[in-house]
Amino acid sequence: MFYLLEHDENAAQANNNPDKHYLSLLHSCFQAAHFYRQNQRVFIYCQDQAQAHQVDELLWSFEPDSFVPHNLVNEGQKNGAAVEISWQVPTNRRPVLINLTSTVPNFAHQFSQIVDFVPSDEHLKQNARERFKAYRQLGFQVGNQPASSSQATS
Amino acid sequence: MSPVEHAFSQSGLLAKILNGYSPRQAQIDMAMEVELAIENKTSLIVEAGTGTGKTFAYLIPSLLSEKKIIVSTGTKNLQEQLFHKDIPLIRKAMATNAQIALLKGRANYLCLYRLELYVKERGQLDAAMLADFVNVRKWANSTTSGDIGELVNVAEDSGIFPYVTSTVDNCLAKDCPHIDDCYLINARKKAIDADVVVVNHHLFFADMALKDTGFGELIPKADVVIFDEAHQIPDIASEYFGEAFSTRQILDLCSDVIQQFHTELTDVKQLGKAAEKCQKTAQEFRLLFNHDPERGNWREKINLPRFNKAFKNLKTDLDFLYQVIKLCVSRNEAIDNCFERVVNVLSKYEIMANVEQSGMSFWYETTRRHVVLHLTPLSVADKFNDYIKDSNAGWVFTSATLAVNDGFEHFSDQLGLGQATTLLVDSPFDYLNQSQLIVPRYLPAANHPQRAQALADIAMPLIEASQGACFLLFTSYRMLNQVAEILAEHIDNPLLVQGQMSKRKILDEFIEKDSAVLLATASFWEGVDVRGDKLTCVIIDKLPFASPDDPMLQARSEDVRRQGGDPFSEIQLPQAVIALKQGVGRLIRDVTDQGVMVICDDRLVTRPYGQVFLKSLPDMRRSRNIEKASQFLATLTSKNLTIEKE
Repeated sequence: MFYLLEHDENAAQANNNPDKHYLSLLHSCFQAAHFYRQNQRVFIYCQDQAQAHQVDELLWSFEPDSFVPHNLVNEGQKNGAAVEISWQVPTNRRPVLINLTSTVPNFAHQFSQIVDFVPSDEHLKQNARERFKAYRQLGFQVGNQPASSSQATS
Repeated sequence: MSPVEHAFSQSGLLAKILNGYSPRQAQIDMAMEVELAIENKTSLIVEAGTGTGKTFAYLIPSLLSEKKIIVSTGTKNLQEQLFHKDIPLIRKAMATNAQIALLKGRANYLCLYRLELYVKERGQLDAAMLADFVNVRKWANSTTSGDIGELVNVAEDSGIFPYVTSTVDNCLAKDCPHIDDCYLINARKKAIDADVVVVNHHLFFADMALKDTGFGELIPKADVVIFDEAHQIPDIASEYFGEAFSTRQILDLCSDVIQQFHTELTDVKQLGKAAEKCQKTAQEFRLLFNHDPERGNWREKINLPRFNKAFKNLKTDLDFLYQVIKLCVSRNEAIDNCFERVVNVLSKYEIMANVEQSGMSFWYETTRRHVVLHLTPLSVADKFNDYIKDSNAGWVFTSATLAVNDGFEHFSDQLGLGQATTLLVDSPFDYLNQSQLIVPRYLPAANHPQRAQALADIAMPLIEASQGACFLLFTSYRMLNQVAEILAEHIDNPLLVQGQMSKRKILDEFIEKDSAVLLATASFWEGVDVRGDKLTCVIIDKLPFASPDDPMLQARSEDVRRQGGDPFSEIQLPQAVIALKQGVGRLIRDVTDQGVMVICDDRLVTRPYGQVFLKSLPDMRRSRNIEKASQFLATLTSKNLTIEKE
């Protein structure tokens, strides 16, 4: 199974964040929290270290009630925390991949579930369409649904 | 409106004594609950976050009740603050004649008999001791309380004090020629007559467990008992409900017996022989343990053949000594005293030999020359609960750090306070804007060779940004010393390192020296009160979990495991949470205080139990970016500069 999440234009504007990736990052955290509550280990794959730090910072600032134990690659215990944030190839097996990069990583087939995002920005949307096709070629069943705040809290 | 409500209102008593007072619901809530506990003679547990004004919240309803009250605090300093400052302030505002008394432990009072003895047989004194002694004598002529705390010109840890104060062992009690002028007895008399008695936890529990007898109980019966800094109580109570057996007791006894043999009882040759034999066996017993001081499990040790044999030898020699002394009983007072002591040592021996007793921790502790065997009850809940039931009094337990994960079970289970009402009163501070909590990224593992360097690298920019208003707290001396060495090479700030001098002196210097940085172990921060911009940054090397080698912790864990519980979540985690809450409490003391807490332990982020810590700590602004800490600190120091310029 694999979800595509479409962003709500209004939410993006309401948030008023200049970073066009910001909403993807935020929703990657919501998704990570969701899988953590279901006892599923998650790998968040980032474009680069700076982005990984952004995700790390977001997760760490969650309300204590929504705490998500996580680590950046190269820190913490050997097998990593429930959620690992990285910009490198994964070194341990996890069922869930959250992809924040613009392409489909070549290790995608290792995962049984993949979460990806379709940003509202035209250029980024085009990239997402490419990924959509690539996932399908890898044999994933691709579905999509709008990202909503209700999902964030579930 | 009840008198208590009125006291906290805009036109009440607090408004009269405090400038710019405005009523705060949190404080009133607490005061009303205290009033109820006093009225109904029930127990109340209150966590009152820093800045709630909990002292007034328990003092005012207590004083208004016009009952007999005991207030017990964590330290002598707090005792004095209550006695000299807080209570007189309220008393004045209420215009009552309530009498207040301060009662401390025996070791705090000058003993006239011991002083006189010392003057007579004063032996070899070094210069410092002599100077201290002169000061003690001068003061002894003028003091009315006999409280050695008045002696400002003699260091707290001066070697003179054991010679001019008494212990249970050497107090002559009823036979003392100075009994009419005894400062301890006088302090007790005052306490009996007073309406409010201020004591500390150690005295309270020593008295409750009848560990300081001689005059019976020191602390009079009361209608209301209030514990401030109550989070310390479970440990202190366990200590006093336990027993100890030490080779020092044996060696002291033997040397007194030998002295008797050499002076008055020279005809009893066996006395010398028996005592010397016993002395030697006791010393041999110490040699079985590792050379360096340590703590460990006595149950394990006594089952090793070598230890078992040596311990049995000790019994044989003590028995022999007992028989010999018994023959001399009533020849003089000194030997009678020795007889009492050998009986006492033998009874303690029996306790330590019978390690099958369940519900107890048997552990040992060695110093360079001695071994002390301890028996500590794993739980004092039943005993304490019985005591409370029999007391027919209202009990209040309060502290800024009692709750873990918004619950009090951890505390109330330890003391058998399941029936108590609980209340959680939030701090009025705006932690989100006043403070930051930072867990730096990519820390090397705790045992990594680069760990000390990494900690120093984190600390240096922060020390620069805070201009030295910085504590570095460690969970091990090894790491403390390694980091201290690195810092000494790289920064010019004066470094105050725990162990260089007494705790009090280090803190005084920290406040005095503008750019000083303090390095200490985590236990250091309890009872530290450094306000404002003198402390803006606290760096902790690891989450303050108790060492897994601690025998008491092992015994309690074993007990929890046997009952099917999880020792980590039931013992270690709550303990560490309370310790960390104490630490945050040191950083932010006031509505205007600001500061940064840096915890160099990524388990706070990577482990599920991080949630328990976050839910129990005040809501500080969190980040993992260490540069944010420096920026925040830099804004603080620049603010201070502009204030100074104005």
